[in-house]
Amino acid sequence: MKQKKIHAYVFVFPSLFLTLVFGIYPLLWALRYMFYDYQGFGTPVFIGLDNFGRVMRDHQFWSAVGNTGIYALGKLVVTIPMSLLLAIILNRKMKGRSFLRAIYYLPTIFSASVMAIVFFIIFNSYNGILNQLLIRFHIINEPIGWLSADHAMMTTIIIAIWGAVGNYMLLFLAGLQGIPNDLYEAASLDGANEFQKLKNVTIPLLGPVMQMIIMLAITISLKGYESIMVLTEGGPYGKTEVMYLYLFKLLFPVSAEAQSIQQLGYGSAVGFTTAVIVGGVTLVYFRISKKLNDVY
Amino acid sequence: MDKKWVVATMSTVLALSLAGCAADSNKEPAASNSKPADTKGDNGAASGGKTKILYWTPDRHDADFMKSKIDEFNKTNKDNIEVEMTVMGDNYPQAVDIAFASKQAPDVLQINDFQTYYKKGYMAPINDYMSSEMKETFKDSLLENKNTVDGKTYTLPNTGQIWRLIYNKDIFKQAGIENPPKTLDEMVAAAKKITETGKKDGIYGFASPFKSSSGFWRASNTVAGASNNTGIDGYNYKTGQFDFSMYKDIALALRQMNEDGSMLPGVESLDIDPLRAQFAQGKIGMYINHSAEPGVYKDQFPTTANWAAVAVPTTDGTIKGASQIIGGSYIGISADSTHKEAAWKFMEYVYSDSLQSEYYEKGYGISLIPTVISSGKKPSIPGIEGFLPKRYDAIYPANPLTITEGSLEGSKWSDAFSAFVFTGGDVDSIIKDLDTRYNVSLEKARASGATDIVADPSFDASKLQGKLSTEE
Repeated sequence: MKQKKIHAYVFVFPSLFLTLVFGIYPLLWALRYMFYDYQGFGTPVFIGLDNFGRVMRDHQFWSAVGNTGIYALGKLVVTIPMSLLLAIILNRKMKGRSFLRAIYYLPTIFSASVMAIVFFIIFNSYNGILNQLLIRFHIINEPIGWLSADHAMMTTIIIAIWGAVGNYMLLFLAGLQGIPNDLYEAASLDGANEFQKLKNVTIPLLGPVMQMIIMLAITISLKGYESIMVLTEGGPYGKTEVMYLYLFKLLFPVSAEAQSIQQLGYGSAVGFTTAVIVGGVTLVYFRISKKLNDVY
Repeated sequence: MDKKWVVATMSTVLALSLAGCAADSNKEPAASNSKPADTKGDNGAASGGKTKILYWTPDRHDADFMKSKIDEFNKTNKDNIEVEMTVMGDNYPQAVDIAFASKQAPDVLQINDFQTYYKKGYMAPINDYMSSEMKETFKDSLLENKNTVDGKTYTLPNTGQIWRLIYNKDIFKQAGIENPPKTLDEMVAAAKKITETGKKDGIYGFASPFKSSSGFWRASNTVAGASNNTGIDGYNYKTGQFDFSMYKDIALALRQMNEDGSMLPGVESLDIDPLRAQFAQGKIGMYINHSAEPGVYKDQFPTTANWAAVAVPTTDGTIKGASQIIGGSYIGISADSTHKEAAWKFMEYVYSDSLQSEYYEKGYGISLIPTVISSGKKPSIPGIEGFLPKRYDAIYPANPLTITEGSLEGSKWSDAFSAFVFTGGDVDSIIKDLDTRYNVSLEKARASGATDIVADPSFDASKLQGKLSTEE
């Protein structure tokens, strides 16, 4: 028995060690700067809660939080039903099932940044493929500014949906395969049609899986920024700026042209605030979605 | 039951890890690093074999040329020095920070952000190494906070970006416009006319890469500096305060061009390279950019477009201040180098008249070294003639913009003006808001000692003219 316990610790050790060294330690290292004015050089100056006061006043940050809400909601509202529907369809016995599953999953394995470049080629207004097609088929006369202030958020959401559907489809498929077949047989004997089976057997039994999938989807959407960084850099003038992109720019002010200074102190405070927001949203979701878990 | 807490905690930890990663790559703050180290170079002799000097640069456009010159140096130098050049990517600033934090800094490196590198104590002074002849060559070219601090020199200039209005001659001709615009009103009118005649073929009057904040900055900064004599980068050197009213005219002109529909569709999501690609295809009438363009249109986007470069338009058609040249700092020696003397030998070689003249003649950059400009042959690369320094081109003194933006609350000036160009609003209140926020942050930076740049009541940008070139 004791040896078994030792085994457990031995197996846990590598990942625990890596988490402590590369996750927890740098986290604590960064977090202490929340209370400092520090830009990467000189001596950090302790300023108490001033950085958090600045977070509260920072319109750009709160507008990024608002944009993140729109982005996450837009992505989830389409992705979850769509991937569930695809999973249900591709869970049936049909020809080419594996092929189709692979096709839908494919976007997940592409690099988000590379795909953002490809989507730029499709969506840009001056010589983008989409506008050229629409003009050729006389659907539009003038190019549409897919990445302009009016449409950029919608375009980034479409790209996010494209990248996510396959992933959640796979998770739903795993969930669907865990539902015993005899329940469907019993439902059939009771004279249930396909829709009734979906409503009364599939969806309720998917509850716990769905709760986890939606939770994952929420946190991933709230944290997503990579493709936006490549596609629009948060622009035009902040219209697609999301929380983590804003944070990223504070900590890594990478700019080919202008010189910029890292804002480590303020960035840490923004990092903490974003983490609290993501954690808070997740908690609220768990409260609300408790019912999903009460199936068995 | 506890699962939700576990999951919520885990997601918080995951979310925080971005901040964690960022901090992990940065240097531990240490008071000892806040002052540059003294120069106590050794004789550079490594035990036995050659003295190896590591050199880092983010420059890619001249990499082949520099590599061949370094190979030559490695073969011919008599001090047994071997230089290894590494060309870094766009993450150069991060790579340099990490290298210094982990005590693996190169011996010689490009100084792409002088004031920050000085504050971080990355550079060793070179005064003691410079020969009197070299001091003479550079005596009029050194700028406080770009090359020197408190009488100590850390880097010397080599080349600079000369800023111009770049225009497609054929497009102007088709639209019936004789000459490139001299005033902002003429620029707005020309853009409108070009669009009216060219729109059916997808040709538009004006563009700037508004995807990032550089869109407004590129289109406006040179115009502002040339239209007034008080300063650049929003900074009034005379009063020592930020005064963004210098951008009012160009902001209104850009807004007008947007309202007229004279800008290339999609400028809001345009980067500089896609812009250049469109210009090379003859789809853009004009834009404002710097002296890298001849090289770009020779190698990167070869074009048959008949283009030229002229001085940027100004409010009333005259240059009241000076047309900005960006540059001044080039390479320096790491404060941590254990081979400072050998590093200097290499640096001296890079700054030699022969190397710098060849660099200039081959068109890799416009030299800022007066002896090179006056003695060297003019570069022959097509299109460069419009970028050769004129009397009105000048390097401005250092200003506290970067330091100020380090603690600035709210949006940066170029973002605020970009939003105005596309969405409109009250330009005066935008300027007032920027002035207030920037000056509060500047005050803070001065109080904390982050910058010692103060007002210079005698400043007059027109007096900067003629220092580099006297050509009218």
